[in-house]
Amino acid sequence: MKLLKSMVVVTVLLAGSAARHPSYDASVHAQQPPPQQQDEFVPIDQLPPQDQLPAAPMLVGAYSFVAIALFAYLVSLARRLTAVQHELERLEGDVKRGGA
Amino acid sequence: MFAHIVWLVLRKDFTIEVRSLEIAYTTLFFAISCVLVFAFALVQEGRAPEGGAAGILWIAIAFSGTLALGRTFERERQAETLRALLLAPAARPAVYVGKLLGIVVLLLAAELVLVPLVALLFQAALFAHPIWLALILLTGTIGFAAVGTLFAAMLVRARSRDVLLPVLLYPITVPVIIAGVRATGALVAPEFDAGVLRVWLALLVCFDVVFLTLALWTFEPLMTD
Amino acid sequence: MPKSFIPAALVCGLMFAMAPILIANAPYESTMGLVQKIFYVHLPSAWMFLLGAIIGGIASVRYLFRGDPRQDRLAWAAAELVVLFGAITLVTGPLWARKAWGVWWQWDVRLTASLMGWMVAVAYMLLRKFGGPGSDKLAAGLALFGMANVPFVYISVNYWRTIHPTTNVVPTLPTSFGVPLWFSAATFLLLFMLLLRMRIRLEEQRARVDALYLSMDA
Repeated sequence: MKLLKSMVVVTVLLAGSAARHPSYDASVHAQQPPPQQQDEFVPIDQLPPQDQLPAAPMLVGAYSFVAIALFAYLVSLARRLTAVQHELERLEGDVKRGGA
Repeated sequence: MFAHIVWLVLRKDFTIEVRSLEIAYTTLFFAISCVLVFAFALVQEGRAPEGGAAGILWIAIAFSGTLALGRTFERERQAETLRALLLAPAARPAVYVGKLLGIVVLLLAAELVLVPLVALLFQAALFAHPIWLALILLTGTIGFAAVGTLFAAMLVRARSRDVLLPVLLYPITVPVIIAGVRATGALVAPEFDAGVLRVWLALLVCFDVVFLTLALWTFEPLMTD
Repeated sequence: MPKSFIPAALVCGLMFAMAPILIANAPYESTMGLVQKIFYVHLPSAWMFLLGAIIGGIASVRYLFRGDPRQDRLAWAAAELVVLFGAITLVTGPLWARKAWGVWWQWDVRLTASLMGWMVAVAYMLLRKFGGPGSDKLAAGLALFGMANVPFVYISVNYWRTIHPTTNVVPTLPTSFGVPLWFSAATFLLLFMLLLRMRIRLEEQRARVDALYLSMDA
């Protein structure tokens, strides 16, 4: 088992180093050339003024989805909890009356 | 001792299978019909889609593999032999490896037929570098079967086991399938790039080791009631 | 439920109310502008997605090797949260990507591995629901494989070519971006823990119902 575990570590490292081989990933087929991968965020006022991207629908959509998803999950959880609670109370009542 | 148990399990499965060859024939026929369906759907006027061979080969392997896994363990379930195997004074991981090797042999046999068929129908030069091809198929099959054997053995006692096996298996084996397809794709590409192939092969080996380790580690606790 | 639950829930609610103010006051990022603000929900969701997978994996290992049913409940709850936060990550990401990269989706390593990890969690839920007896152990095995995926998702973006930002972004964030991010992350973490606690309680109640049924049949 120890041998197998060390083999895992070794092969993961090997695969990682082997994977630094350049240029084999399929590239994005966007209309414009794909943007560079970012290494850090730069606030917008540190660059010359640019047009605001019309991104409001995406932003609103994203935040709405988050809100709806979290809310729906909370509702689902609350519903399941009350259902189980009712069943528990019902059963406990039966046990008390039945004296089983 | 470990190797002896593996050999015994393998021989048992082989002996039973050879009597009727039921799983071998049905898996093989399924694999062939799978590839034929792809050919009917995708080959237009005798021209196959560019670079489609790699993906279709691995899809056929994945589907046939799932079928073979299901059928193998269904046979164990019906005869209740799985319980007997587990009751035997044999190390559980050895039983797992024995069953794994049986599945791998079965899948490799299916691939012996699949690869020429795909090469023919989809006009792909799969046999350009046979050693690389053999390595890719071997590592990919082992990776797929490692996870498959574990899950199929576990699902023997579960409800809805037929549909749950693919549902559980495919997400986990996605890395193996992707690596297999990319490696095979690099193999049949017009400009053969050994470096790219090596990267994907290294990844396949890496996945195999990780999956085998996890499977060997968890087979024992998973199989206890 | 522990006494701290209600106060914690109130704090969480307040934090959720405050977060949009902080996010709105954060500066715009130079190349992405307004749409970058999705970052403040996308990143914490992704972190919760990975955290849930790790928690589920560890709990599953402990359940497999020790048999403690509390670990099984924890694993199940964690898997459900992985589905939730994974869905949020996988929706907010493409919405951001459509503006920032020009495409909804890219089959690079990180996105593919994340989608795969999410599907493993969905498979876990299906197994628990429809698998019948013995599916608890099998699901634990599945969660273990799911956890093995997590480090892969995290480091993949540093080693494979992709247009997804690297992990270098967060450590080098200017404070003006960092404050809303860490606040948002703390909010999500608190919510995660609250939801986890509630979900575990659901399983505990179910176990009590089962025990009652069994005692009645005896």
